[in-house]
Amino acid sequence: MAWNRVAVVGAGLIRFGELFSQSYEQMAAGAFQAALGSVDHGIDPTLIDAVFLATQRGTLWGQEGIGGNTIPSALGLNGVACTRIENACPSGSDAFRIGAMAVASGVHDLVLVIGVEKMRDKSTEEGLLARAAGGHPIYNRGETAPVLFAPFATRHMHEFGTTREMLAAVAVKNHHNGSLDPYAHFQDEVTVEQVLATPLVCDPLRLLDCCPQTDGAAAVLLVPADRAHDYTDRPVYVAGFGVATDHPALHEKSSFVGLPATVKAAERAYAMAGVGPADIDVAEVHDCFTIAEILDIEDLGFVEKGMGGPATLAGETSLTGRLPVNPSGGLLSKGHPIGATGLAQLTELWWQLRGDAGPRQVELHSNFALQHNVGGRGTGVSVVNILTTNNGR
Amino acid sequence: MDVTLRAVGAAAPSLRVEAHDIASAWGARGRGSVAVCAADEDPLTLAWSAATDALAADGGDAPTGLWWGTTRPPFAEGPSWSYLAAALGVGPEGALFSGSPHAGVEALLAAWDAVAAGTVHTALVVASDALVPDLGSSFERRAGAGAVAVVIGTGHGPARLTTRTTRSRPALDRYRGDLESATRDTYDPRAIRQLVFLPEVLAAAADVAAPADATWSLPDPDGRLAATVAEHVGGTDGSAEVRAALGETGAAAALLGAIPGLRRPGTVVAVAHGGGRTTAVTIVVDGHVPGADDAIAALASGRSASYAEALRSRGQLVAGGESVAMGIPPGSAMFARATAELLAFEGARCVDCGVINTPPSVHPACTGCGGAKLEVIRLARGGEVHTFVVNETMPAPFVAPLPIVVVDLDDSARVMTQAVGDGSGVDIGTRVRMVLRRYAIERGAPVYGMKALPLVAGG
Repeated sequence: MAWNRVAVVGAGLIRFGELFSQSYEQMAAGAFQAALGSVDHGIDPTLIDAVFLATQRGTLWGQEGIGGNTIPSALGLNGVACTRIENACPSGSDAFRIGAMAVASGVHDLVLVIGVEKMRDKSTEEGLLARAAGGHPIYNRGETAPVLFAPFATRHMHEFGTTREMLAAVAVKNHHNGSLDPYAHFQDEVTVEQVLATPLVCDPLRLLDCCPQTDGAAAVLLVPADRAHDYTDRPVYVAGFGVATDHPALHEKSSFVGLPATVKAAERAYAMAGVGPADIDVAEVHDCFTIAEILDIEDLGFVEKGMGGPATLAGETSLTGRLPVNPSGGLLSKGHPIGATGLAQLTELWWQLRGDAGPRQVELHSNFALQHNVGGRGTGVSVVNILTTNNGR
Repeated sequence: MDVTLRAVGAAAPSLRVEAHDIASAWGARGRGSVAVCAADEDPLTLAWSAATDALAADGGDAPTGLWWGTTRPPFAEGPSWSYLAAALGVGPEGALFSGSPHAGVEALLAAWDAVAAGTVHTALVVASDALVPDLGSSFERRAGAGAVAVVIGTGHGPARLTTRTTRSRPALDRYRGDLESATRDTYDPRAIRQLVFLPEVLAAAADVAAPADATWSLPDPDGRLAATVAEHVGGTDGSAEVRAALGETGAAAALLGAIPGLRRPGTVVAVAHGGGRTTAVTIVVDGHVPGADDAIAALASGRSASYAEALRSRGQLVAGGESVAMGIPPGSAMFARATAELLAFEGARCVDCGVINTPPSVHPACTGCGGAKLEVIRLARGGEVHTFVVNETMPAPFVAPLPIVVVDLDDSARVMTQAVGDGSGVDIGTRVRMVLRRYAIERGAPVYGMKALPLVAGG
């Protein structure tokens, strides 16, 4: 594949949470400054020649449309080329992929990819839960976000004997990781018993099986690999990426124990990077619900289909396990401000690959890290990005 | 030309409320119980259910006309008839009768005329109702709901429609003014009973010259008329057991009350009264009418509900605050494209690979093979739960718990819909039957679609 190598030279985010005191624009500016400040040798923001903005749902805070001009002026970059990317829950990771392509093509030299999402300016009932009345008036009626994943939990439990305790183990692990992440929305440990004692949100999923509604913003800076050393001595490179789709309605799923979009996106990313699941040292995956992480680690090839629950229970995905998953705390603990989520995951992996993750630092072997999102109607779109510090790939 | 009655079906709503529970809320006493629609049921869904059973019991040539009587069409003004006709696949002949509890028998008379005149060979007659009484009235303790459907036509049949007589007298008893929502029952009961009910009903009954052993279906607008008339006319009051099961069922009462008489040879006289009009119809039953036993069994179904749940389901108890609007307005183009395929429960079958895609209007290409040759079919009505959830967390107007199921239909199609009930009895592998239900009342318009009704073991 003839594409110019791309490097990540800066990445940053703001502390996630219910950021009632910050506007959408203020959150964006915070993430932008964090990314600029992370560049080891400093950076001149006026050299940014393209911005890709990921925001999934402006209606959650009262904006019908968020155009490409929404953010540049708030960042002091008025006039810069800017395009908004919306691709459901992978919006941030897809914006990263598109930003990387803009650099890989040779068209742009310094690209800012920024994800910003206001999830909590409206009440829950008027915000995220209102989707119960959206979509098809019959076939989507009552389809709140957990309905997109809970049927997979029901079926996964039925086919593989996955238990509620195994689901809870995902939450326990990710909340532990989040307790070590100063940017996480939740920074408290939880126990299996606590998870199982929380109210049912969408049977079989309980409150702590679900990620919170979180405001947040994250940003990364991309340059051609051959210029990376102008900015840092420790660049991280884009090794590969993939995006894939699946039918948009849940009843069109061929199975309820895996997500074909994830499988296909991963195949494409692995092929582009020339690696396989065994080469991945650390992964940030889409754990919007506990069952989602179990599906993800199976679909990404980290464990056999059906073994996601036992592997989690056995600690294989913990910080010190065979393949640490969601060291940042994941969506469950760090939060899921949709457009920012993928970029925050990539920021975590940027830290991890550079050895900067502090108490969350995992052991590196092959120096490849994988980032994954899946979502949309019928969990029908997935993006996988693979980063590495290995030059030459 | 003899007009024959070929099959019958009936439907009862899901809820049963003790009259005592209703009465005690108002410092009064009550006996028995009444049937009340669940929040997703109304006279249209009840009509669909009764008609579906009648058509299944018949098995003859499909009706080309639908005659429907109800005091509570789901749209006071709007596409009530065309919705029901589309859901049943019956039409284009027919009419909707409303305006009084006499409407059900008016539908029967009109269908009878159409068959006799040769306008249609086979007609479907449906009478359904779900009364909405004034709160705190004695009428409220009797107001019920139910539906009945009969298939009539020419030629040989197990029963014949033989004689009929109709009387009219301008008199006010039960009524609902324009712009009013609840039905008033505020007339002088002794005066109207003596001056209107008894003389009119007895005169109509006498006109049909029924045999002494006839089985009667009698109107009971005031909770005591039927018993008094039964003493005068002799024979058996077959409608008493239907009233005991459902309460007073308005426009459905006359035909519902006739069902017990359709189970054995004999003469049935169905008498309807309402809005000053009184009609008596004689049905001579030569053999057991198909569907009659199942119809009686259908009336026995239902679960106990509190008065508060009944009021909420009937729309008489409404939560404060805002509720979330349907993303797609009922009057918009999407509904114009999709309403027929939703009511008829259609899919698009791929001519090349056989995969069934649901619904057709959003599937120009097959989800199985990508092919574009698709034929619209009616989906199977039976299936099995593949997976499910019970949603506990939704904003108004949704009410938790809300079961949502992925169903593998018997024709291999897969759909995801809401399930009827609170999720109890739903599991992977549970057999379901797809039934028409009201999903919402949106901007004043009822929105209908199929839901999965979990079948109890052996059901």
